[in-house]
Amino acid sequence: MSSSVGSPLLLLGWDYRRTPVELRERLAFPPDKVREALSAMQREGLLAEGVIISTCNRSEIYGVTGAALSGALSDRDPFDAVTDFIARFHGIPRSEMDASGYRFSGGEAVRHLLRVAAGLESMAFGEDQIIGQVREAFRLASGVGATRSVLHRLFQKALETGKRVRSETGLNTRPTSMPGVAIELAQKIYEDLTPRNFLILGAGETAAIFFDLLLARGAKNIEVVNRTLARSQELCRREGRALPWDELATRLPHADIVVSATSSATPVIPLETARQAMALRRGKPLFFLDLGVPRNVDPRVAELDNAFLYAVDDLQEIAERNRQERQKEIGPALEILEEELQEFLSWFGSLAVVPTVTSLRKKFEGIRESDFDRQLEKMTHISEGDREKIRLMAQSMVRSLLRHPTEAIKDEPDPGRRLDRAEAVRHLFDLDLDSKE
Amino acid sequence: MRWYAGVARRTRVSPPHRSGVPAKLGGVLRYDGLMMGPVSLGVTALILYAAAEAFSIMHLRSNEPAQGSTATVFLLVGFLVHLVALQSGALAAKSVPYGDLSASMSFFAWMVAATYGILLLRHREGSTGPFLIPISILFLGASLLTHQEHVAVANPKLSGPLFAFHVTMAILGYAALSLSFVLAQLYLIQNRQLRRRNLGLLFSRLPALDVLSRLHRTSVAIGVTALTVASVLGLIWAKQHWGTYWDPKVLFTFLIIAIYLITLFPGKIGWGGKRVAFLSMVGFMLLMFSYTIVNLFITQEHVFR
Repeated sequence: MSSSVGSPLLLLGWDYRRTPVELRERLAFPPDKVREALSAMQREGLLAEGVIISTCNRSEIYGVTGAALSGALSDRDPFDAVTDFIARFHGIPRSEMDASGYRFSGGEAVRHLLRVAAGLESMAFGEDQIIGQVREAFRLASGVGATRSVLHRLFQKALETGKRVRSETGLNTRPTSMPGVAIELAQKIYEDLTPRNFLILGAGETAAIFFDLLLARGAKNIEVVNRTLARSQELCRREGRALPWDELATRLPHADIVVSATSSATPVIPLETARQAMALRRGKPLFFLDLGVPRNVDPRVAELDNAFLYAVDDLQEIAERNRQERQKEIGPALEILEEELQEFLSWFGSLAVVPTVTSLRKKFEGIRESDFDRQLEKMTHISEGDREKIRLMAQSMVRSLLRHPTEAIKDEPDPGRRLDRAEAVRHLFDLDLDSKE
Repeated sequence: MRWYAGVARRTRVSPPHRSGVPAKLGGVLRYDGLMMGPVSLGVTALILYAAAEAFSIMHLRSNEPAQGSTATVFLLVGFLVHLVALQSGALAAKSVPYGDLSASMSFFAWMVAATYGILLLRHREGSTGPFLIPISILFLGASLLTHQEHVAVANPKLSGPLFAFHVTMAILGYAALSLSFVLAQLYLIQNRQLRRRNLGLLFSRLPALDVLSRLHRTSVAIGVTALTVASVLGLIWAKQHWGTYWDPKVLFTFLIIAIYLITLFPGKIGWGGKRVAFLSMVGFMLLMFSYTIVNLFITQEHVFR
C-alpha cells in the first residue's frame, strides 16, 4: 500500500483487536526503549517527530516523516521504512508484523488518536486509564525532543478531546466490570475505602482477584478467613492477616466490607450470624459482597437495617445496565471528536506551503496598503507621478522581503522541518487560521 | 407577575429618604445615582443564589470541577451582598433584623447560606448544594415578596444585646436544622437507591452514605449548639423581664434538643444510619410544630409582630 503519499503524518499500530497477545508482548516498548527507538528513528531521518504509545493493549507509533523519506530524496514507502525499523528494533519478522497491524495517515491517523484518547478504542469501553497513558507517551517523547510543532499540537488536542468526552458525555461515568461495580457500590457507603476493615471469606481465584484489587485501591486492613488456613496464609504473604475459619463470627462485626467467595454449598453467613454482627456494630453500615455461587450469604440479610447485600447476579445486572447506558453516549462523544478533529485539521492544513505563503503575502500586502499607501495619499506636495513611482518601489520591496522566507518554506525537502518553518512563520507574523479563506 | 412588578416598583421609585435608609449609607452604596436599598440588594443576592443553584445543578450533572467552583463563588458573593442587604435593613431598623416576618425570613435565608458555607469548608462536598441552596432562595424570595415599605419600629421592650443574641442564635439554630432535615432526606434517598439497586445519575452523584452522615452531623451540631445558646439567653432574658423562667416554648425546645442530641451520639443506644435520619426528621417536625402551633396558640411571647 502506498497510502503514505500526501500527508507527512502517519500512524502504525498493533492493538488487542487485530494483534494476538504474543506479538503484542514482543512489540511492547518500556520507557527506555521508547526513548531509544524515537532517537534512533530521528537520527536515521525516518521521522522528524514521533510518539510511541505502548500499553498492554496497544503499541502505536505516531510520526511526522523525516528527511530520508520525503518524496524528492526517496521512493521508499514511509510505512514500510518505519515497519522495517521496528522489525529490526524488536527482532520480529516483517511478515508477522504486517499480518496484524494497521496503518493510517493524515486525518485518519488524527481521528484514531482522538478515539484512543477518548477511550473509544479501549477494551473497557470509555475507560479512564488510557488518557494518562497518552499523556505519559507524549511526555516521554517530548523528553527526548521528538515532538515539535505538529505532534505537540496533536497530542494537546488528543488530551483535550479525551477530557471533553469524559466531562461532557456520560461515556465513562459508570463502571461496566463486576469488580468496578462492586467498588462503586462500596464507595457509596464508605467514600474512602483505605481506612476500612475488609474481611475476605475464601482464598480461591475470585478471592485473590478482589484481594489484589483492594490492595491496589489502597486498602490497609484486610483479613482473610478460609477453611484451610494455609491457603489464606499464602494469599496474605505480603499484606493482610490470615485467620482460621472459626474466627469468622467474631471478626464479622469489625468488618465494614465483607467479600465472600467460598465454594460452600450452604450459606457461610446465615441470617442469625449477620443479625448478631449488625447488633454489635451499633448502626454502622456493613457491606456484603457475595461472590459465591451458590450464594454464601443468606439473602434475607439484605433486609437488615444498615446491611447492604449484593450478589453476583446483582453486580452483573448493574454492569449490563451501565454498558447499555454507555452505548447511548457514543453519539455525543463522536460529535465532540469530529469537532476537535476538524479544528486540528484546519490548523494542520494551514501549515501546508501554499496557505502559509498566501497568508504571509496577504499580511505584508495588507500592511503596505493600509499603512504605507494611505500615508502616501496624504503627501500632496509630491507630484502624482512621483507618488506612483514610490508606490511601485514599495511593492517591489515587499516582494523582495518575501522572497527568501517563501523559498525557505517551499524548498525545504524535510517535511517535518517544513511544517516547523511554516508554524514558526505563522507564529512570528501572527497569521491566524481564518485569514486564509 | 404581580409580585415582581411590586418589587421592581419599590426598587425603582422609592426615593432614598422614604425607603427608610439613613443618608450616610446612601453615600456608601450609591451606584450610578441609583440607591441600592435593602430590597435591590436583596434581589441581587437572590439572583446570585439562583446562579449558584444553576451552576451546582450543572455540576451535579457533569461533575465538572470548574462548575462547582463557579457555584461556590456565586454563593459567596451572594452571601456577602445579602449581608450588606441585611446590614442596611438593620441600620434602618436600628436592630438585628427580626422586627417583622419579612426581615427574619431574609435573616434565616442568610443563616442557611452561612451554614451551608461551613459544611462546604469543612467537608469539601458540593454535591448537596442543589438541594440545600433552594432553602435560601425560597426564604429570601418570600422575604422580598412580603417586604413592607415602612420599617417596623422595634418594640423598645424587645431590644438590647441579650435579646438580639437570643433571636440571632435561634435563627441560626433553625437554619442549621433545616439543612440537616434535607440532608437526612438525602441519606434516606441514597439508602433506598442502594437497597433497590436503583443506580441512576442521582445515585452516582450524591455523596456516599458516610459522607451524608458526616454532613448531617455537622449541621445538627451547629443547630443544637445555637439552639441551646438561644434557649439559655432566652431564659436569662425572661427572668429579667418577666421574673420567671417559664414559657411553654422552653419545654418543646428542650425536647427538640434532646432528640437531636441522640442523633449526634446514636451509638450510645445502638442506633445508626436510617434510624438516625428518621429521628432527625422527627426532630424537625417538632421544631416546625414549636415554630408555628406553639408560637401561635400555646404561648404568646414568640409571635412576630
